[in-house]
Amino acid sequence: MIGDIRGWRMALVPDTLINTPQRLRAALPDVLSVLEASGYGVLQLPPPGEHGLLLAVIADQVQEYSHHGYAVVAIGVRGEAGDGLHWRRIAPLLRHRGAALPPRHIIRPDVDAAVEGQRLTRWLAAYDLPVEEQHRWR
Amino acid sequence: MEQQKPPRKVALVANCLLNQNAKVCEGARYRGVVSPVVEALRSRGYVLQQLPCPELAFAGVRRWWAVYEQYDTPAYRAHCRRLAQAIAPLIERFLRDGDEVILIGLDGSPSSGVRFTSSKPDWGGRPNRPEDDWEIVPRRGIWIEELEAELAQRGLPPIPATGWALDMGRFDEAGSRRDLDEFLDSREQSQSTSSGENSVRTSGEGSGTP
Repeated sequence: MIGDIRGWRMALVPDTLINTPQRLRAALPDVLSVLEASGYGVLQLPPPGEHGLLLAVIADQVQEYSHHGYAVVAIGVRGEAGDGLHWRRIAPLLRHRGAALPPRHIIRPDVDAAVEGQRLTRWLAAYDLPVEEQHRWR
Repeated sequence: MEQQKPPRKVALVANCLLNQNAKVCEGARYRGVVSPVVEALRSRGYVLQQLPCPELAFAGVRRWWAVYEQYDTPAYRAHCRRLAQAIAPLIERFLRDGDEVILIGLDGSPSSGVRFTSSKPDWGGRPNRPEDDWEIVPRRGIWIEELEAELAQRGLPPIPATGWALDMGRFDEAGSRRDLDEFLDSREQSQSTSSGENSVRTSGEGSGTP
């Protein structure tokens, strides 16, 4: 694609990791900055609560990406319900659409935030689709 | 007694401002996150709320570019209304909590344009870049029209909005940043003179329909 520099990788991210409440800021890495530096796009998940239609809309998007050569991962946070990922709702929605479940990386708030940021950076750098799948689409 | 949360500054952002993979083929100018937009909003204390991408879920991620008139169909508008109904409860919650809410769309986009959209009523057939030619006209994109209609139907006040000028033909990042900063500065000034102007903290009745 001429002049197009998309990264072909993105992450499902809980609201709490994008808009981290003050009380958690010291305990969590700046995930949005890590994703930005790693060339990942963001698919923001809603805060806890009932968001049936919105989660279905997000699952539609993940399906479209995962069937066309994009790498989709999920980043959760330990201590939040469902790791902040609405996993009990979104996993069946993805299965129903024939989309593979994204690999998950869980942030640990009880570990030094800088260390967790570096661990996330390494994990994101190491993940992508198999090379033959990349060549097919990109 | 329930403790009242302090009001927040909330920026509704077009989907592709956080994820350039959503862009039409040949339209991504960043790898993932549109850094200058995120930096401008976060440095001013905004929390971010990503909007769904209407084109991606309708025409797919391998779609060609299009103009307003090509997307102006009953089926696409119905699809946009479904997406608006999916995200409106979150926006309504922000407004009813007394938060200051703004919207950052994507100027020039047939869907997410705020100040401008792309237009060419007789356009159709085979795309032919870079010869393709369309006009930029001062008008909302279809997704923004439908989102605003859904919010109005819920009795919510209009949301101050601007667009990041990514789809205006030649992309001028510095100019886009200046525009965005001016818009955000003007919001700060208006908030310092009248607090919570677009909020509806007293639930029940909206403070006005657009």
